[in-house]
Amino acid sequence: MAFRFIHASDLHIGRKFANIPQPQDGNIRGRLMEARHGAIGRLASVASDQGAAHVLLAGDTFDTATPSSTVIRQALAAMGEASEVTWWLLPGNHDNLRDAEPLWEAIARDAPPNVIALTEAEPRDMGDAATLLPCPVAFRSGASDPSERLVTMASDEGKLRIGLAHGGVTDFTESGASIAPDRDRTARLDYLALGDWHGRMVVSDRVHYSGTPEQDRFKHDRRGVCLAVSIEGPGIPPQVEGVETGTFLWVERDLPLHSRQDAAAALRAILPETGRRDVLLRVAVTGWAALPDQVDLQRAAHRCAPDFAHFELKTDLLRTQYEAADLDDIDRGGALRLAADALMEEAGADALSEEDRAVAADALARLYSYVREAAK
Amino acid sequence: MKIRAVSLNNVRRFTHPARVDQVADGLNVLCEPNEEGKSTLFDAIQALFFKPHGSRDKEVSSLRPHVGGAPEVSVEVETEDGRFILAKRWFQKPFATVHRDGGLVAQSDEAEAWIGTLLGGDAGGPSGLIWVRQGMTDLTAGSKKEQDAALEARRDLMTSVGAEVEAMTGGRRMDAALARCREELANYATATGRPRANGPWKEAQDRVEELALRRNGLATTAQDLHDALAERKRARRDLRELEAPEAAQERRERLEAARTAHAAAERHAEKLEAEARKVEMARLTMDAARTRLESLHATLTEQSEATRLVADAEADAKEQQELLEQQRTSRDEADRAFQAAEAALKDAERGNALALRAKAALDGADRRKELSERIAQAERARSTMEAAAAARRGPDAETLRRIEALAAAHAAAVAARNASATQVVARYAEGREGAIRDGDAPLPAGKPVPLARITHLMIKGVGELEVRPGEAGDDHSVEAAAEKLRKALGEVDADDFDDARAAADVRAKTERRHDEAAAVLASLAPDSIDALRDALGRIPELEEDCEAPDPEEAEAALDRAREAREAARLARETAMERFSDLRNAASRAEATLASLRDRLARAEAALAKSGEVSEDDLATEARQAVDVHEAAKAAHEEKARNAPDLAGTGAVVNRAESVEQQARDEITRLKPLLARLDERIGRSAGDAVEERLAETEQELEAAEGTLARIEHEVAVLTRLEKALEASRNEARERYFEPIAKELKPLLHLLWPDAELTWGEESLLPDKLVRNGQSEPIDILSGGTQEQIALLVRLAFARMLAASGRKAPVILDDALVFTDDDRIERMFDALHRQAGDLQIIVLTCRQRAFRELGGKALRLEPVTAANETEVC
Repeated sequence: MAFRFIHASDLHIGRKFANIPQPQDGNIRGRLMEARHGAIGRLASVASDQGAAHVLLAGDTFDTATPSSTVIRQALAAMGEASEVTWWLLPGNHDNLRDAEPLWEAIARDAPPNVIALTEAEPRDMGDAATLLPCPVAFRSGASDPSERLVTMASDEGKLRIGLAHGGVTDFTESGASIAPDRDRTARLDYLALGDWHGRMVVSDRVHYSGTPEQDRFKHDRRGVCLAVSIEGPGIPPQVEGVETGTFLWVERDLPLHSRQDAAAALRAILPETGRRDVLLRVAVTGWAALPDQVDLQRAAHRCAPDFAHFELKTDLLRTQYEAADLDDIDRGGALRLAADALMEEAGADALSEEDRAVAADALARLYSYVREAAK
Repeated sequence: MKIRAVSLNNVRRFTHPARVDQVADGLNVLCEPNEEGKSTLFDAIQALFFKPHGSRDKEVSSLRPHVGGAPEVSVEVETEDGRFILAKRWFQKPFATVHRDGGLVAQSDEAEAWIGTLLGGDAGGPSGLIWVRQGMTDLTAGSKKEQDAALEARRDLMTSVGAEVEAMTGGRRMDAALARCREELANYATATGRPRANGPWKEAQDRVEELALRRNGLATTAQDLHDALAERKRARRDLRELEAPEAAQERRERLEAARTAHAAAERHAEKLEAEARKVEMARLTMDAARTRLESLHATLTEQSEATRLVADAEADAKEQQELLEQQRTSRDEADRAFQAAEAALKDAERGNALALRAKAALDGADRRKELSERIAQAERARSTMEAAAAARRGPDAETLRRIEALAAAHAAAVAARNASATQVVARYAEGREGAIRDGDAPLPAGKPVPLARITHLMIKGVGELEVRPGEAGDDHSVEAAAEKLRKALGEVDADDFDDARAAADVRAKTERRHDEAAAVLASLAPDSIDALRDALGRIPELEEDCEAPDPEEAEAALDRAREAREAARLARETAMERFSDLRNAASRAEATLASLRDRLARAEAALAKSGEVSEDDLATEARQAVDVHEAAKAAHEEKARNAPDLAGTGAVVNRAESVEQQARDEITRLKPLLARLDERIGRSAGDAVEERLAETEQELEAAEGTLARIEHEVAVLTRLEKALEASRNEARERYFEPIAKELKPLLHLLWPDAELTWGEESLLPDKLVRNGQSEPIDILSGGTQEQIALLVRLAFARMLAASGRKAPVILDDALVFTDDDRIERMFDALHRQAGDLQIIVLTCRQRAFRELGGKALRLEPVTAANETEVC
């Protein structure tokens, strides 16, 4: 019978999302926090559906080293309620052993029996079929491959060797702290469950990042998932299935525009038709648009924004296409036209700083908007 | 439109119909005294054009006469379409009509509309602009409503006259854009560009500041937590190591071994110390024996020396005593000789004094005589002086010279008079000499006699001949000179000049006598006669019954006595000094002898005391003590060579004890420290410091983003405001160009090179620029303000005409404060503008406006002759 378990990571429970603007009549931050907490229940549900008795959390279960006792206790309680599942919690860089010592002490003290804190790099029995080989993160920024210890970590003969580690496989900082992608082979692992990368990533047949079960950034363009892993026996490649667990979809869409294009229509075309309440959408507008199109674009964005959990229109890379007719809309002559011409010249003046050019361009757009609104 | 006639009925004082007609093109002047109805006429015209016939407002009500009635006004106007008569009545049976050539063109509301379009514009049209009510000469005068109406008219006019004005300035669209921009900017910033209190910009700044502070505080707390965790880790490790049983056992064994080694070393050290004490004892014994032997040798030597010195001292003391006695005798003798010399000196001094007094008396006899004589001569000289001073009278030399000059002047005057006076010459017949007499004196023969005055010549036997000299003799200079001369002579009590000269001579002689006497007195008694008398009193007089010795002998005897006394004094002092020296020497010899006898006694006493031990015994004892000392030293050195390092063993013990103590202290310190750290970590972890830090950092990031967006927004709005203001300023000059052009020649009638600057909002002049100096209108004199206001209205009227809306200019006492010189130039301005405008001037200043010219109007009751023209 195959050994089944759930691989998840980076729950970042307790994250506040204070950088997400919250309208006075909204509660997006609270909803995002609640969704992270709710991931525990969804993971338990997936485990139940998949017939898995173990959930491996590969680090960063908590967002900070010292979460509030409410966050800790409620998370542990939720895990305890899924009593048919054993939760294996690995310290990650956010809740590393050194900084989060009180957290792990609290877990050791208060956790229900089915929650196990993996604070030591030593083999742990997962029953008759498998041995769990954890690599807890001792420091927030380590200088060595945390999975290196797996090579020498012993396990019972005939049992699956399942590694659990937290860190990147790509060493962008050249600190030597990245996990070797072939660690499954060097450590004779049947599966290496990794955390830290918030998106789903397959490193090799036996090495996987599950990503976070509930997304928290505009990067991965899909809802969060967990991995349902099934291994028939030692040496046999695992069967890995991604199961969607995320409530919110964080998505960033590019909106390239060109002159004489209906910018508002182009925006509407890329918006999801349904489920907007659980979508956090960032639209990055690029290219060129005339002044009226920009006004229309802003109005369209303003109109649709309340549909979404969060809506963000980035126009810093959008250039203004000035056309004579636009300036004529402001005025064909006289003082208003003088002002418009002066601002347009500044907006394109290479001698000015980018900031000054942007100010002039926005001032011109604002003048256009005023005149148009006054005309209505 | 031009007004040709105005009729009133039941309007204020005009309870009967009155009319102004034949109003011409150009300049018309209605010049009437006060209370004659000029302002009534103005208000009536205003009401006709702008008050609906159904109105009962206060302005219409003010038109009613005191006795009541329905005010009626009709105005005949001429337009391009012909002549029309506009008429209105208010209150009872109100109506409004427009007639042309006797036919009704419009009535009621239609008539109102017809009239309304005649001048054009709402809110009073141009009336506020070019119709000036009495007392409203100021451009900004009038009610708020009137001011607004005037502003609207100006704006309307400016807009209408310049085809490009609206396009040029942006007009209301510019106003709206600028107002919107400023409104939004004001939401963020103050007028000076600073964040507005309680505004979003300030709130964003405060928010960032607050979050940064909170973030820093939390970061510090988080760092404290990290430090506490690290410290607790170290403390736990240290405590674990210290309390490990193996470590404690090792510390105990090391301490025990050190203590055993140190105890052995201490015992050896005690034995070595005992050997050292023996060496010291032997040394002390040896030193004592040597000291005793040396002491005996010294005492024997002292006894011998003292015996010899005592014998020498006794001989010396005896010799000194003998010499002292001899000197005592010599001293007594010298003292007696001195006493005798003293007595002899006193005798010689007495003799000498007697001789000197006698000699002084003898010498003073001649001096006394000489002084007595000088005193007598001086007294005489003083008497002479006093007599001369008493006799000093008559003119002095200066007075005499003045009198002499006056006498000469008098003589010259007489001679001059005589030269021109009538003269008679008598030539007697023989025998008749002296027959002609002037008074008592006969006239000299053949000699001309001048006659200065009427003279009666007696001719004996003939009668009297009166001679009248005529005007030539009427000269008063002689009398004046004579009077001066008489007065001068009178002052010195003289009859004539010769008399005065004689008195002057006498005075000169007396003064010379006085001066001579004074010189004598000064020679005899230079200090005074009393000084001479004092000198005389100081000279002693000879004592007749005293026999004095010869002075020279007495002085020689005195000198000798003094020398003898000095010699005796010196001899006595020498003897006494010698005696004193010898007495001191004898005392010293006695003292030396006593001291040496004591020394000898001490030496003999010491010998007596040590008489029981011999010198040989002491020498033997000293040699034995040396041997004992050498033996003790050798034994001590042998013990020292084998001694262990006591300090080293002690240090080892100290170190082992210190390690043990440190371990105990460290355990004592670490346990409570760990408890404190546990509590500190538990508290910080319980406060979720990292969680709050992460949240705050996210909030700060969001707040910084918000602040950046707001700052960009402020920059955008600020830039837009500046761009709009700059462009509007540029357009503004062109905006005002038409009115400035129209106004320029009018202004120059009063002030060459003057310019006006214009208020952007009010569309009125705000400053007068003359000779490069800019003056706000409201600080100018009332007359100047009035003149500028009128010129501006005339310029607006011309612009109005240029726009096709010709309307008459009506000025009701618009020049009140203007002086005579300026009013002439204002008249020129009115005539200049009246070329193609109809101007109606209402004034009470009959004399001042006499020179205005123009068509004279009359407000007259309607008579039968013109009654038919009244509507």
